[in-house]
Amino acid sequence: MNKDKISSQEIIDLVASKAKVSKRVAEEFLKAMISTIEEAMIDGEVVKVKGFGTFKLQWNEPRKSVNVQTGEEIILPGYHKVNFIPDSVLKELVNEPFEHLFPVELDGEIEEPNYEGGEVPLDPLRIFEEQASEIKDLLFEIQALSSITKKQTKEEEIIQEEIIKPEQEAENQLEIIDEVEDVVESPEISELTNEENEPKPEDNHDIVPELNAIEPVEIDVESKSEELELEIAPNSDETEPKNRKFLIRILIAFVVLIGIGCGLYFVYPPAKDFADSTYENTKMSVLRTSEKISITDMVNTISGWFSPESKTSEIPHIVVIPKDTTAIDSLSTNVAVDSLQALFDNPRVYTEFIATEKFKDGGRLTKFAKRYYGNKEFWVYIYEANKDKILNPDIITVGTIIKIPKVNPLLINVSNPRCIQKAKELNDIYVK
Amino acid sequence: MNHKELISAISLKMNAPKSVVADLLEKTVATCTELLVEEKIIGFQSFGNFEVRKKEERLSVHPATQIRTLIPPKLVVNFKQSNILKDKLKDLITNE
Repeated sequence: MNKDKISSQEIIDLVASKAKVSKRVAEEFLKAMISTIEEAMIDGEVVKVKGFGTFKLQWNEPRKSVNVQTGEEIILPGYHKVNFIPDSVLKELVNEPFEHLFPVELDGEIEEPNYEGGEVPLDPLRIFEEQASEIKDLLFEIQALSSITKKQTKEEEIIQEEIIKPEQEAENQLEIIDEVEDVVESPEISELTNEENEPKPEDNHDIVPELNAIEPVEIDVESKSEELELEIAPNSDETEPKNRKFLIRILIAFVVLIGIGCGLYFVYPPAKDFADSTYENTKMSVLRTSEKISITDMVNTISGWFSPESKTSEIPHIVVIPKDTTAIDSLSTNVAVDSLQALFDNPRVYTEFIATEKFKDGGRLTKFAKRYYGNKEFWVYIYEANKDKILNPDIITVGTIIKIPKVNPLLINVSNPRCIQKAKELNDIYVK
Repeated sequence: MNHKELISAISLKMNAPKSVVADLLEKTVATCTELLVEEKIIGFQSFGNFEVRKKEERLSVHPATQIRTLIPPKLVVNFKQSNILKDKLKDLITNE
């Protein structure tokens, strides 16, 4: 640590050269400044210098002490002390070498006080915890929604059925099966039971997404891993709200059947003939039950299912495309939030770089992040882009060339707390 | 006394325009900040010393929750008044 002392004279010289004034003026100014501050303090005022700090007087009370030699009690007189509180700007500048350090909570022998709900109602930590869990639940909900929205926005071809929503799923499935049984009695129903059916979850605003085309495809019958492809295509016809629910149910049932038949049709040659007949049956039954659906609509929707079907029948995937005029408003807000989530969930690929930095002694990725992205939390993205060179983000060899990647500005939005949250989550993953 | 009031008080004392004083003050602050970042001690005679001190890392225990937290080391600016200033302040009549 360099502990050179800079005297008043040196300060005067530096200020004079910096402000391009004569030393005499600088000296005069410094003296005036100091005496002004002193006088103001003596008057009991608080002196605040922008960008530097605050000076104020502090009265230290007289206190008792003991004379070390004689042992007799003496009273140290009270005195005034100049208290200097550095400005936050100065504080941060001075503390730059340790800027990247955070207080770390140590767990271990922490005994969580086990009190019942009513006993300590005003414990702020407890309230905070409750709020935190609430927020967590909300986040889970958002994530559940977003994972589906992601599929529809990205239209990814292959998505394994990973998301499990047991209750909803089961209920919906049962409903579908019931409907199927009601409308047409088909031998394929039994095959539905093993299949994973993933309908779009209803969101909080009581919006039932209008599903008018669900296309389940049975992929592999022989290996008994029956998978279902579910496709909800946009709905074009507007029906009366009364009839809508009924129609939806009919359509779901109809489509499920068609899907199964179609799956068999493509995959299972022996079932080809049977599927054709099922298709005809279903069509007839629906026509019988609801006369509101015109044949042209039917043909359009059916041809709609068939054309993409032939291309993607080998890949198990779910594409959920709700198109409901009433749902658009609420969904659009979800999409706005969830497109960000999709960004988070997607692996980031770094192809463009805005700068390269040579890692210096005492350097930090957080410093680069702060300089290029505006927040030190975003260092994780630099690390991700330089993973091949950096084995451990805590230990980086001096002289390593570090590329600063160009990151999607949405991802490093300093004012968005979710971005910072995400960066912190990544931080927790990388630093263990 | 805030920044503006300080500037006007100094300009009154120096018989100099406020703009000049403001500029000088800004430059002084910048110089001092630079020096402090380099961890140098700045001594104003008759006023005191500004220096950077390192606060070592420590373990703090939250008194209510007993959560132990490791506080990282940090550098802080410390001001120590000179004896001249201290003597001046001694004459101050204590009203507390």
